[in-house]
Amino acid sequence: MDFSRYEFDPAIHDEMFVAEGEPRDHCRAVYEALRDLPDGDLNTIQERVTRSFSQEGITFTVYGDEEAEERIIPIDCVPRLLALAEWRELEAGLVQRIRTLNLFLADVYGDCRVVRDGVIPADVILGCPQYRLAMRGVGVPNDVWVTICGTDIVRTHEGFMVLEDNLRVPSGVSYMIANRKAVKAGLRLLYRRSRVQDVEQYGSLLRQTLCELSPGGRPDPCLVLLTPGTYNSAFYEHMFLAHEIGAELVEGQDLLVNDGFVYMRTTTGLRRVDVIYRRVDDDFLDPLVFREDSLLGVPGLMNAFKRGNVALANAPGTGVADDKSVYAYVPDMVRYYLGEEPLLQNVETHLCRRPEDLEYTLDNLEHLVVKRVGESGGYGMLVGPHSTPEERDEYARTLRADPADFVSQPTLALSRSPCLIDGHAEPRHVDLRPFVLTGNETRIVPGAFCRVALRRGSLVVNSSQGGGGKDLWVVDL
Amino acid sequence: MLSRSAQGVYWMARYLARAGYLSRLLELQVQFLVDRSVEEIHFGWKRIYRCMKRLPPPGEQFLPETDEFALADAFTLADDLTFERSNPDSVWSAVASGRENARQMRHCISGEMWTTLNAAWLRIRDLEAVDIWRTPEVFYARTRSEIHNFVGVADATMYRGAAWRFMRLGRAIERAQLAVSLLLAQIDLSRRTERRTLGWASMLRTHHALEAYGRVYGIDLKPDRVLDLLVADPSLPGSVLATVQAAATELQGLDGGPGVEADAAARRLAGRAEALILYDWPEASAPEELLEQVGQSTRDLHEAVLDAFVDYAIEDSPLR
Repeated sequence: MDFSRYEFDPAIHDEMFVAEGEPRDHCRAVYEALRDLPDGDLNTIQERVTRSFSQEGITFTVYGDEEAEERIIPIDCVPRLLALAEWRELEAGLVQRIRTLNLFLADVYGDCRVVRDGVIPADVILGCPQYRLAMRGVGVPNDVWVTICGTDIVRTHEGFMVLEDNLRVPSGVSYMIANRKAVKAGLRLLYRRSRVQDVEQYGSLLRQTLCELSPGGRPDPCLVLLTPGTYNSAFYEHMFLAHEIGAELVEGQDLLVNDGFVYMRTTTGLRRVDVIYRRVDDDFLDPLVFREDSLLGVPGLMNAFKRGNVALANAPGTGVADDKSVYAYVPDMVRYYLGEEPLLQNVETHLCRRPEDLEYTLDNLEHLVVKRVGESGGYGMLVGPHSTPEERDEYARTLRADPADFVSQPTLALSRSPCLIDGHAEPRHVDLRPFVLTGNETRIVPGAFCRVALRRGSLVVNSSQGGGGKDLWVVDL
Repeated sequence: MLSRSAQGVYWMARYLARAGYLSRLLELQVQFLVDRSVEEIHFGWKRIYRCMKRLPPPGEQFLPETDEFALADAFTLADDLTFERSNPDSVWSAVASGRENARQMRHCISGEMWTTLNAAWLRIRDLEAVDIWRTPEVFYARTRSEIHNFVGVADATMYRGAAWRFMRLGRAIERAQLAVSLLLAQIDLSRRTERRTLGWASMLRTHHALEAYGRVYGIDLKPDRVLDLLVADPSLPGSVLATVQAAATELQGLDGGPGVEADAAARRLAGRAEALILYDWPEASAPEELLEQVGQSTRDLHEAVLDAFVDYAIEDSPLR
């Protein structure tokens, strides 16, 4: 692989190099092996990786005006490396954070001490559209509100930072496993030599975690994965995970509630369901409680859930804890609930609901990233340094119209990692999304869905906006 | 097994059996274009359309039965039966529907089955009639062989649970209906021509039965014997008897469906279709009437299976 044109930039954290041509210790062996691969070999591997995705049908569906198109997420075959020690540090931070967020959720749907003690203003929580009044006073099994979380982590020269917590129905874990499978097959010897930590046990850990939620500890619980259906862009992942955890893949129409219990229609009759790994948003879960027009959900499901007859992972209402305004308070929550200093930092966040933050944001639009509180997937945001003055003027007008709907953050120099672009190595910005499972204990496989902004200079890693994936190797070297 | 999954696997098998059967019919038909009489070629097209219960593309109908038109006609007709997206039974549509059902039920079939089928789909997904028309028989033979391959991979790798039964049931019912439909078309069309043996040899080839016929009856081709073999020989895998027996076997292997009445009806219908051939066929004076009855039984069987296992009333169901 040709590294001769690699543009190292000392201003940006590089995942592989400490200086021009000088790899980090844990990257040295992999760098040298990649560098010494004959020209073209990596291209062949790259083609094979891409082809394997197409053959296996690892696709997401994009709906155009006329017909649906199955696409594959572009995968860069050059792995991103993380030293085991770095991973341990990150892992400890993730565990601390999920403990805090679960305590916060139990609190905001319970006594609301966090508000009464003045840690978070009441209106931040009550004004959040993801705060579910239906969950007030509801207890959840083991006090686990968030069973599956996919935290977006970025890295700068200052270290790891949490960009978003993703506590509702985070996706991408199937890509972590698919990328691993494809890249491992392409770089067999290198993989073996690098002592990469395994991620393929994710399915069994997820199963174990979900079984721990079984109502009343019912042994050998019946698990199902509730999908919005084949038209959902993450349908591949739903199918994949159902298979991995040995659950039936169900749609709302397959389930019904009878006398406070949930059943699914099987070919031998109605079978009781104990745990639902739901990949349907709160709004659509139960038309009797949330959106009346939902055809995806199950009438009466919330009643069964509140009576403790079925577990839902994640519990409804977790979205209040990953709201972009509430996010800003997570470090304070860690101190408040655990009495510890946060191990993982937040990105500095200005809440435009505060007049001084709004003023600061408007004055510095060209340097900031501004996001809508309720949007995700990279939509509805302004990346200041990449915007034109006209775009900023336009954005400022919408911002002034409803400041509480916006937050702003500094444009981060996201770390970069080498990618195979046009046959040679070029740096591209990356982030990572590890998946945190919480049942009786918190479990994290040492890996993540690593997203990469494949467009030169781009900071947007979302697959809907030109992003791709990479395999992340946690190496013990 | 989840009812909707059973339904998906059942339809997957039906669509793929349809694609395989139609590919076989077209494979032979495009071979005829090279060396058969115009009369025989037209006979073949009419039989396929009759079997698929479809009318030829509007406006075209069948061009005058002269030599000059035979090939031009063939391209349009083959396109309509092979790649026409709006024709739900075209080879392309049937493979697409089979594959889409498989995609949605991937967790119910083996990984090898999925990749085998997906590879076949990726090959034909972007093809059009002009792409195959230099050697169309190669395309049809390959498609047919890929579906055989899928069935073989399923046999070698799929867990013998309820999904396996529903898949085999779908395949058996589809094959029985297609075979009955083609036989009825052949009987009717051959009555309207002077040449009594027209089309009977290709009936044997369609069902891979030429060698079996030779072994049982010798080289003298007689329509009645062909009919006997294709309807009532239990050793010929594509015979009507073998397919309805296969359906009955799969049904027996399934636990009773929650739709109790429909379940009993399904088992009765499968038995009746089998009994009609075993006991009434040898003395039937009007074979088409009996075949109509068998065909109706398989259509009723299809409905009964769905009512018994999928669309049953909730109040009928035991809670487990």
